[in-house]
Amino acid sequence: MLINALNGLVYGSLLFVLSAGLVLVYGLRRVVNFAHGALYMLGAYIGWSVATLYGFAAGVVAAGVALAAVGVVLDLVLFRRLAGRQPLITVIVTFGVLLILEDVVRSVWGTGNRALDPPAALDGVVEIFGAPFPVYRLFIVAASAAMAGGLAAWLRWGRTGLFVRAASHDASVAAMCGVRTAAIGPMVVGLGAAFAGLSGIVAAPFLSIHPSMGSEILVLSFVVSVIGGLGSFAGAFVAAMLLGQVQSFGTVLLPELAALLPFLLMAGVLIFRPQGIAGTKG
Amino acid sequence: MSAMTEHTLAAPAVTRLLPKPGTLLVGLVVIGVAVVAASSAPRVLASLLTQSVIVAFLALGVGLLIRISGLVSFGHAAPFGLGAYGAAWALSPAAPIAPEIGLLLIAPAIGAAFFLIGLVVSRIEGIAFGMLTLALGQSVHVAANKFRTLSGGSDGLIVDVPRRLWGFRTEALQTASGMLIVAVAALMAVLLALAVFERTRAGRLAVAIRENEERVRFLGYRTRAPKAVVLALSAAIPALGGVLFTLYQGFVSPEILTWGFSGQALIMAILGGSVALWGPIAGALAFFVLREELGGLTSHWLAILGTTLIVVTVTWPTGLAGAFGALGRRLTGTVAKGDPA
Amino acid sequence: MSAIFRCEGLGKQYGGVVALQGVDLELEVGKVHGLIGPNGAGKSTFIDVASGRTAGFGRVHFQGRDITAVAPGERRRMGVSRSFQRTSIFPALTIRDQLDLAAHGAGGGDVEALAAMLGLDRVLDRRAEEVSYGQQRLVDLALALVGAPKVLLLDEPAAGLSVAESEVLATHLEEISAQWNVAVLLVEHDMDVVFRICHVLTVLASGRFLVSGPPSEVRTDPAVIRAYFGSTA
Repeated sequence: MLINALNGLVYGSLLFVLSAGLVLVYGLRRVVNFAHGALYMLGAYIGWSVATLYGFAAGVVAAGVALAAVGVVLDLVLFRRLAGRQPLITVIVTFGVLLILEDVVRSVWGTGNRALDPPAALDGVVEIFGAPFPVYRLFIVAASAAMAGGLAAWLRWGRTGLFVRAASHDASVAAMCGVRTAAIGPMVVGLGAAFAGLSGIVAAPFLSIHPSMGSEILVLSFVVSVIGGLGSFAGAFVAAMLLGQVQSFGTVLLPELAALLPFLLMAGVLIFRPQGIAGTKG
Repeated sequence: MSAMTEHTLAAPAVTRLLPKPGTLLVGLVVIGVAVVAASSAPRVLASLLTQSVIVAFLALGVGLLIRISGLVSFGHAAPFGLGAYGAAWALSPAAPIAPEIGLLLIAPAIGAAFFLIGLVVSRIEGIAFGMLTLALGQSVHVAANKFRTLSGGSDGLIVDVPRRLWGFRTEALQTASGMLIVAVAALMAVLLALAVFERTRAGRLAVAIRENEERVRFLGYRTRAPKAVVLALSAAIPALGGVLFTLYQGFVSPEILTWGFSGQALIMAILGGSVALWGPIAGALAFFVLREELGGLTSHWLAILGTTLIVVTVTWPTGLAGAFGALGRRLTGTVAKGDPA
Repeated sequence: MSAIFRCEGLGKQYGGVVALQGVDLELEVGKVHGLIGPNGAGKSTFIDVASGRTAGFGRVHFQGRDITAVAPGERRRMGVSRSFQRTSIFPALTIRDQLDLAAHGAGGGDVEALAAMLGLDRVLDRRAEEVSYGQQRLVDLALALVGAPKVLLLDEPAAGLSVAESEVLATHLEEISAQWNVAVLLVEHDMDVVFRICHVLTVLASGRFLVSGPPSEVRTDPAVIRAYFGSTA
């Protein structure tokens, strides 16, 4: 039982870091980024390529830096121009970005599965509650906690972070401070993309690397952000942890229904509380 | 223009609901062209056309939801796939009712189910609706993979189409040329029905709700049911396409339930545009032709598709239908407000 | 004659800000009741609470029945109708189609006659987005008028109209109140329109009731001059 809870925590932390990037971009740009899963996948592949040559740590750095750059470009070329357009249009445009990134991945790395071993220092198992548990999974929780902590500190004490928090709370704040948003946009979208890329490479030794990993996790990160309330970090945290546990225990207790549970949960939340756990109305 | 509308006003109510005779003529011409194409086109082309016409039902459903309700769905592969699976079940020897009746009930049943869903989710709009449909579509996809006894899991179901249905021989339905004629005729009938629906008060009410739901409520209406009706229509049409899919292919698998397939339908609808009812159908044809042509030339079909989608959405949001309309007005020398410059 | 529409203690708070506090008001058939006051006095808030657009405090009675909890659509079918300050129409529908919808929603009404009266008959088959702003304001008003409601709550119908257009509008409203047996609440900034057609005036200031009475008395009331005219002079 406790091992299940721990596995749920591992999966939930990963989902939260990924969803935090989605929430960040939504908060500032009011863009639900359908390409977010593709960014996660791109991070995993870039990280894999670098890690196999220069080691895992280099892979992590490369995934973060490369994806931050992709995010900056995305904002400058597309999202900035879409500010104020109908949500319909922005959603479809990010869907187009998803298709392009999937093509890039398929062209560069092919369609086969890739496996990445955890670094030697994190390989192996420890005994927890009398059962063996992979060390790498504990690393996932630690890395996620560090990233989430960093983000929370930035949002709470950083000047830019404070503004982002205000903007995601109330869209009109972002609109009123148009000039500042223009300068902050690339930074925030870059950070959101870096979070996607980092969660991709961190997930790589845990889940496998394949060309549909992006779309699989995208759907789940949507479930997280809808349940949590679009644009809310605290809501996304609660939802990610909840979903992690649901997945972990669902697989054990209700194997037939496990894959359906997240969607049932999301439908239920949307029907009874359309604004999500932490969302505000409108 | 104004002289013409005054004329139609004087006419009895029933004829007001019918599209102009010219529009009906175009529909008949399209069916005629389909007959000619079916009998003379090379098999590869006929098969391509048949595929695109069947998927056009899905694109039409997605486009209808955009056109009337302004909602984007990422999950309409679900009603299409359920229609296809429904046909497979209706044709299986274990079905409790005659296949002739079962096949006819599928689209109305799926429409009714989506009407109920529509009543429940009526408060959900915009981005959240897109995410909800994505989750709904995914859960149907997952269910099809999991419940093997019903769906055959990822292997799918092979369907034995009876030799005769409604007294007709069914062999022709499984050839590209035979199905092409049937599918095009059915598609034109659906288009006609939709054109009539849009002219009814219910159709105009649905548009009014999209434009300004609050004022509609202040005019004495409840808005929940009309919104659900549009969602039901947008699901029943793909379901019909799904039925044709099964009759044609004799095989169904979860492939037609993936959200990638829903996404393709959305691309077709956007590419075709929603300013005209037939836009998504043109989008479906263009999609298949592009894929056939580019798929042979380059392996970067996905990237080209994505780029096309972005460029069309940003620079020409009215799609092929809008371009065609603008061209038509230029040829006839009239100018309409709202054309992109 | 007794009041057909009665508001008791209407109030509204936004966060900690009191926008409207305990305002009473009664409407009588055949009378135009003007609701005026400086910007931020709570006029639009009053009409929103009275029409059920936003939830607030207080009770609303129509023909002796408490309709506070009745949905806007149901109120419209009962005969309580409103217009909107920020034009609230259907841009993509023709004016005929939207008036027809409004007539059906209200349970009947002569669209052609109403359009002819308001001078919209020549643009009936144009889409609302294609006609002038003044005509769009008239469409907003017409949507409220279709089906001859018993109570009309009008939120600044003259907003954004030219002087000439406002005069035409005032003439229409005079005709309607005289001939239709309707009780009208008129929130309006245009004082020419207000003093020309209103039989009674209520003045709000800072969300509170200030004074009520015939226009001639209200015009000379020192409190009103201080709160209102004083601030604009």
